Amino acid sequence: MNDAAIPKDIRSAPAPETSRPKYIGERVQRLEDPRLLTGTGRYTADIRFDRMVHLAFVRSDQAHARILGIDTDDAATFPGVIAVLTAQDFSEIPDLVAPSRMKNYHPTHCPVLARDTVRYVGEPVAVVVASDRYLAEDAANAVVVDYEPLGASSDPAAALLGDAVLLHDEVPGNLVLERSFATGDAGSAIAGAAHVVEGRFRLRRKSPMAMEPRAYVADYDRGRDALTLYGATQIPGVVRDELAKLLDIAGNRIRVIAPDVGGGFGGKGSLYPEEIIVAALARRLARPVKYVSDRLEDLTSTSQGFDEYVEARLAFDDDGMFIALEAEVIGDIGAYSIYPWTAALEPVQVASFLPGPYKTPHYRGRVRGVCTPKPPTGPYRGVGRPMAVFALERLVDMAAQKLDMDRAEIRRRNMVQPDEFPHRIGSGIIWNHSGFTECLDAAVKAVDYAGFKARQIAAREQGRWIGLGIGSYAELTGIGSRIAVAPGMPINTGNETATVRIDATGAVIATFATASHGQSLETTLAQIVAEELGVRPQDVQIVQGDTGMTAHGTGTYASRSAVIGGGAAIITTRALLKKVKRVAGRLFDVDPDRVETGDGEIYVPGTNHRIGFDELARAVYSDMATLPLAARETLESQENYDPVLGTTTSSTHIAEVEIDPETLSIRLTRFVVAEDCGRMINPQVVDGQVHGGVVQGIGVALLEELEFDATGQLLSASLADYLIPTSAESPHIEVIHLETVLPDNPGGFRGMGEGGTIGAPAAIANAVADALAHLGIGISELPITPSKLHRLIAAKNLTKDRE
Amino acid sequence: MKPSPFEYCQPKTIEEAFAALNHEDAKIIAGGQSLVPMMNFRLVQPGRLVDINSLPGLGEIVLDGGTIRIGSLVRHAEAARHDLMRNHLPIIAEAMAHVAHVAIRNRGTIGGSLVHADPSAEWPLLVTLLDGQIEIAGPEGLRHAAPEEFFVAPLVTTIEDDEILVAVRLPILSPGTGMAFTEIAQRAGDFAVVAAAATVLMDRGVIAEVRLALGGAGDVPVRLFEVEAALAGQRPEAIDSITPGCADGLEPNEDMHATAEYRRSLIPVLARRALEAAVLRAGATR
Repeated sequence: MNDAAIPKDIRSAPAPETSRPKYIGERVQRLEDPRLLTGTGRYTADIRFDRMVHLAFVRSDQAHARILGIDTDDAATFPGVIAVLTAQDFSEIPDLVAPSRMKNYHPTHCPVLARDTVRYVGEPVAVVVASDRYLAEDAANAVVVDYEPLGASSDPAAALLGDAVLLHDEVPGNLVLERSFATGDAGSAIAGAAHVVEGRFRLRRKSPMAMEPRAYVADYDRGRDALTLYGATQIPGVVRDELAKLLDIAGNRIRVIAPDVGGGFGGKGSLYPEEIIVAALARRLARPVKYVSDRLEDLTSTSQGFDEYVEARLAFDDDGMFIALEAEVIGDIGAYSIYPWTAALEPVQVASFLPGPYKTPHYRGRVRGVCTPKPPTGPYRGVGRPMAVFALERLVDMAAQKLDMDRAEIRRRNMVQPDEFPHRIGSGIIWNHSGFTECLDAAVKAVDYAGFKARQIAAREQGRWIGLGIGSYAELTGIGSRIAVAPGMPINTGNETATVRIDATGAVIATFATASHGQSLETTLAQIVAEELGVRPQDVQIVQGDTGMTAHGTGTYASRSAVIGGGAAIITTRALLKKVKRVAGRLFDVDPDRVETGDGEIYVPGTNHRIGFDELARAVYSDMATLPLAARETLESQENYDPVLGTTTSSTHIAEVEIDPETLSIRLTRFVVAEDCGRMINPQVVDGQVHGGVVQGIGVALLEELEFDATGQLLSASLADYLIPTSAESPHIEVIHLETVLPDNPGGFRGMGEGGTIGAPAAIANAVADALAHLGIGISELPITPSKLHRLIAAKNLTKDRE
Repeated sequence: MKPSPFEYCQPKTIEEAFAALNHEDAKIIAGGQSLVPMMNFRLVQPGRLVDINSLPGLGEIVLDGGTIRIGSLVRHAEAARHDLMRNHLPIIAEAMAHVAHVAIRNRGTIGGSLVHADPSAEWPLLVTLLDGQIEIAGPEGLRHAAPEEFFVAPLVTTIEDDEILVAVRLPILSPGTGMAFTEIAQRAGDFAVVAAAATVLMDRGVIAEVRLALGGAGDVPVRLFEVEAALAGQRPEAIDSITPGCADGLEPNEDMHATAEYRRSLIPVLARRALEAAVLRAGATR
């Protein structure tokens, strides 16, 4: 529109005074950055107290063995040693048991220190308390443990065999859990289908590998009988509640604080023996106790992820329409079923999310979780979906290839269409409206998908192998109390309570039981409160991750905090704004509905009534003359939000790769993500989460692998061998945001913190397979490395020679 | 991951250093980039660390007749940017870009890399390629070792516990020699799966002088003398037909990241690429 077209009176009019600044949707600079980027953050390892003692754990060097004896005598005489303790010194602490109402589930008993048996290399066996960590490690080295090896298979399929050594007496057949999903009759449908593709897919075990390893400091106030645990954790609320039970302390005597936390990715999302011991010893010794795990301990004792085999087949008709999907999932859950999630969390979600964003009438999925003498598995960014999406999206590409059909078209055809929501998939999950086909179309358009085939042919003529791969998925985020994050789990992860307060100086404090460890919640929650209340984001202090300061809640995981925490922020701040307007209406002697707020001011448009939040606070809290007693409202609100169900987030990732035909080096040349996360609170934060997630997915696809030998010894036990992607391995990542239909929650938000890791492995696997299509090589195991490609090609050539 | 207890001393003269090394489990520390991680894992538990960073004269790069003498305390990053290297041995800067990351290149020393003797590391390969001489000081005086005498096995050399690697001498090659270094690593900065380096001097369209060496192709870096002999006097086109035999007789190691067969498959490819790049550069300077 040109200037002349606008009526003069509108052009000259000032912006209407009622247009309060919008912060939701803005690229607000991260409020935590000045602190974190200038080295003034405070992580658990930075916390020091007077008289503090340090722990070093003696860890098992055997995978499965009976403990015949532990000799601590020599270690106890080392300089600086205060105590050397074993399981019998903690006999009052119950074993960690993760219960579930799920049928066919056998929980394991995990003592805080191994009692009679060790079940993985790295399991804590004894603990040394000393005046510093160096001395503690010296003494730990002198503890002698006498083991009798018990054997056990580190291969989950072998562990299921009848004659396999049992890891736990209470787990028959090493089968910790078994669950099936069925809709229709997949078996008959597959038998009668025109076409079937099948494969056996595998993801290798991963370490969440946060930059900050796990760390805990406990401080016991003997006078008040009060225990404070500082911990690098994603779930301070869960830790507090369970510690109260395990240590038999009233909840009001124990406070768990997650200070600045340097990443989690799921690895800090469970309760660990070390934090229980730190807390217990602080009380027993009446001295502050500190334990900071090192990188080796992080690699062997922080929960691991994604260790599954999926045998799956997909049946379809001549038009490429999917008819049936069938899958057998075996999850290698490691030695123990982790608290609170249980070992069901990861493998069950593989089977429940396997049908993906497609309409497949018949589905049968069975999952078995098998214990093996390896570190316990737990939540890992993406939980179950990276494996599910990898297996399904490979099958979809194989189906397209079989019919010589376009890979985008077969997806478009089978996806739930915009007018078909809500849609229930074969495992029972209900997708609500999200941009399935819109994301696919946007990603395809962005990469000039139509022109790729010609580029690929031209490249092959020059001896260059290039490939393009698509990974489409849908996931459930912001899960409310009617759907448990893990099946049958006895804690409610579906609600969040916000408390928003204006203090006597007019400053705004908002508390949440979330525990940001890189998600930028100090910024995004502040944006929400600021916009709803009419102040600036930098004027809102977000307090979280501290059970002593916040209402009941569980923490930050499972793409929940923006949806549930953000929803609670909106509801609560609106309740507080009503109070603000009532008080201001009284002060200005106007109808409260005429009062507006914005950028820290409270005013009545078109009048000279205008005060700051500080003046309002003074009138309420300090000045006893202005307001009558009855009008002195408490400038604080607290509301709970529970979305009851979940909200669907969808995305399509497209990867392009180039493989050097001579060295088989795999280079990512392009990466595009089109995603629908609903209304964005801060596009910069969304971009950052997508970028980080995709890079983690690159690790899944091309680099990261915890390799164990047949006896359960970890071979990749340092960062020289466990390879995480760096900036040099990361391509430019293009992100396309779509807001198709906003979900029905207060903010219109969808969770998106995990998605990058969900779509990227499948897209990269499909791109590598596409680049190698002329050799007839498929990709069924990740990570795929040049050396593994070399083996696949050599095997293929051998087969060809035999033919 | 804390080291076991150790004494620490910082001698100011080489005599003091020898005296300090006269201890049952003394270990020299220079940049500490390999030693300290191994100490933190307690894979190495020296009773005494002898810090040689204060010894005089080990941190210099000087021209000495037909050779460049590089002190063992020279850091990778210093070597890469030094004018003598840039002018005479540009392959050093090319190779240094593959040595780990900036922080490690700023701290890690050439002497440390040589005595650590990782079969995939850049310095052992460069010294092998260039017929370098390793200068070793001991209580009895100075000795020189050729790379084939010095490197014995992965992480094993012929240096004695009471000796100090003080310098390496690299020859200045004939003007117009083209040089190239190439490697395949899992990630930028990782130890090479296989590395190849070559120098080529051209004369009237034929290869007059050639050197070719490999890292990651066996227990120690290897010179491919037979391949060199086959290439000498040939036109560059011969590289294509000669390099496929480069892996003959070699026994690359296997680890969790690369099978021996994969390493073997890389050898002719990287040898060819290094030679071709060296030929191109030789052409460009002549």
